Amino acid sequence: MIRKIRKQMTLSRVVLIVFLSCIAVFMLLPIIFLFNNAFKPLNELFLFPPTIFVQHPTMRNFEQLLLHTAAGVVPFSRYLFNSLLISGITLVAVVLVSTMAGYVLSKHRFHFKRLIMALIMISLMFVPETVMIPRYLMMSGLKLTDTYFAHILPFIAAPVAVFLMKQFIDQIPDALVESAKLDGATDMTVFTRIIIPLTAPAVATVCIITFQAVFLDTETSMNYITNETMKTMAYYVTAFTSNVPGVAAVSISAAVGLLMFVPNLILFLLFQRKMIQTMLHSGVK
Amino acid sequence: MGSVEFNHVYKYYKGESNPSVHDFHLTIEDGEFLVMVGPSGCGKSTTLRMLAGLEDVSKGDIYIDGKFMNYVSPKDRDIAMVFQNYALYPNLTVYENMALGLQLHKVAKHDIELRVNRAARMLEISAYLTKKPNQLSGGQKQRVALGRALVREPKVFLMDEPLSNLDAKLRTQTRMEISKLHKQLNTTMVYVTHDQTEAMTMGTRIVVMKDGNIEQVAPPQRLYDSPDNLFVAGFIGTPQMNFLQGTIATHDGEYFFENKRLKLKIHDSYIPHIKAANRKIREVILGIRPEYVACEGWALEAYPEWQASAIIDMIEPMGSNTFLFATIGKDTVISRAEPHTPIQIGETVKLVIHMDKAHLFDCESGVSLAVRGDR
Repeated sequence: MIRKIRKQMTLSRVVLIVFLSCIAVFMLLPIIFLFNNAFKPLNELFLFPPTIFVQHPTMRNFEQLLLHTAAGVVPFSRYLFNSLLISGITLVAVVLVSTMAGYVLSKHRFHFKRLIMALIMISLMFVPETVMIPRYLMMSGLKLTDTYFAHILPFIAAPVAVFLMKQFIDQIPDALVESAKLDGATDMTVFTRIIIPLTAPAVATVCIITFQAVFLDTETSMNYITNETMKTMAYYVTAFTSNVPGVAAVSISAAVGLLMFVPNLILFLLFQRKMIQTMLHSGVK
Repeated sequence: MGSVEFNHVYKYYKGESNPSVHDFHLTIEDGEFLVMVGPSGCGKSTTLRMLAGLEDVSKGDIYIDGKFMNYVSPKDRDIAMVFQNYALYPNLTVYENMALGLQLHKVAKHDIELRVNRAARMLEISAYLTKKPNQLSGGQKQRVALGRALVREPKVFLMDEPLSNLDAKLRTQTRMEISKLHKQLNTTMVYVTHDQTEAMTMGTRIVVMKDGNIEQVAPPQRLYDSPDNLFVAGFIGTPQMNFLQGTIATHDGEYFFENKRLKLKIHDSYIPHIKAANRKIREVILGIRPEYVACEGWALEAYPEWQASAIIDMIEPMGSNTFLFATIGKDTVISRAEPHTPIQIGETVKLVIHMDKAHLFDCESGVSLAVRGDR
């Protein structure tokens, strides 16, 4: 009897595991397809019915991509460079600003703290479209259109990141900060030696969120940038896939699809362990 | 050198009408072990935090070693603090935890090593120096927290309920170690606790606080022997002091404590205080500690004028002695008796209340009729 139940249990277990594995594989399909597609020769790209796995891998798609120039003058590498530069600078700036703001909002006492926090919360509620025109007016008023600042500055005001950091730093006991102050630490020392190491998981999360937002952003290039050399890869990809006709587009877009995906993947692999870690309360109580 | 002076210090929190600390006026001598004790919310922690510089002083002055400290930042006050939850940096090793304060004060590297190792030896934590705090037990964390304060060699040690997260056995042990440490270092220590046992055993002087006010400041034994008021009398000592309500009456020039069931002659040594109180008959509360309520035969014979009859309600054998809970009318009186007492529950017995050890408190204000400091 007991054995029977046990058998049933394991059977249902097995079914569950098989089922979940299937879902996992299904979820993986686009990624597998993406990787394979990038290396397919032209005839395989147009194969019907389409295949998932590549049969004769080739680097031709990437070759085409590097040779292709948008609007006749700007090479693909320029877009890639723009994207990486902007994402990198924005990432550093957002992490710096949001962690500092989070620390101050969480551990310091000052006037209008609640009001400031409320304003940040309210700014979370705006749909991006509503701020597009005011933002354009500000950018052109500051004469920042067609510069990298137009890409970077709007992203630095990141209420989600500030909110996330504030919530996370709230969990660090005040006693830790006070103890450090009694030990002779300045605010900067407390921040760099205590707060940042303890909030590493939140910082990792902020990094991933920010990078994705910046790297995949096309609005900025579309709205504030007219100079083709200042636009980003994300813009290039969307413009390319919708505008360029012909056979060449398919092979290039296969390659560029992979290139868009890889930085995200790298960042995620780098930070996912930190995200899962919850080491915060280990030293207290 | 680390004397501390509080000069009429007040602390008001925003939005609260009553001050959290009210007119705290006290001088702590160099090398003293001062314990602040009181129920939670009495302002003892706030006072300590003001001394540490973690809270602003609303009114009044604080001096450390004769220097005005109100606007000096915590790091420049030359103090070290041990927190209730230890507040160890979880991302640093034990060694780094202890060394951080010294590094920030720009102490030479070899000196840091020397001091940390010496403190570690003293607290027997040398074996854990490379471990992270989360690998340590509560008691070990507590030692590290102490060590971190120790290496700083501050003028004043501040401790905010450092033992309350430890289990009972470890608490007793650590209590002794801190006392020993104080004797060794002879540095001023200010210790906050809600535990009266800790206060009694560790302090050279105790401050009893309630609702932001100082109720009494005295060495432990004096606090126990002659409490200034009802609160202190009830707060210090387990089991609690017995309280009986009644009046002072005079018969033929002799003074008696009276109520419906009792008539006890007041001891001669107390009469001057009653006279000084300048009112002949008044409502009073008689306070008597359980050890001065006797039921033994010899006492009954020796003090016929201090007897009262009572019914035994409950008996609590503690091993070393037995507590008898007796009722006299409506009041419950606890008596400390010999461990092997023949008395049974429900029995009516005669109790002797040692009036020479009794305290009389004004019923209205709760203040003792006498501050009998010299008795």
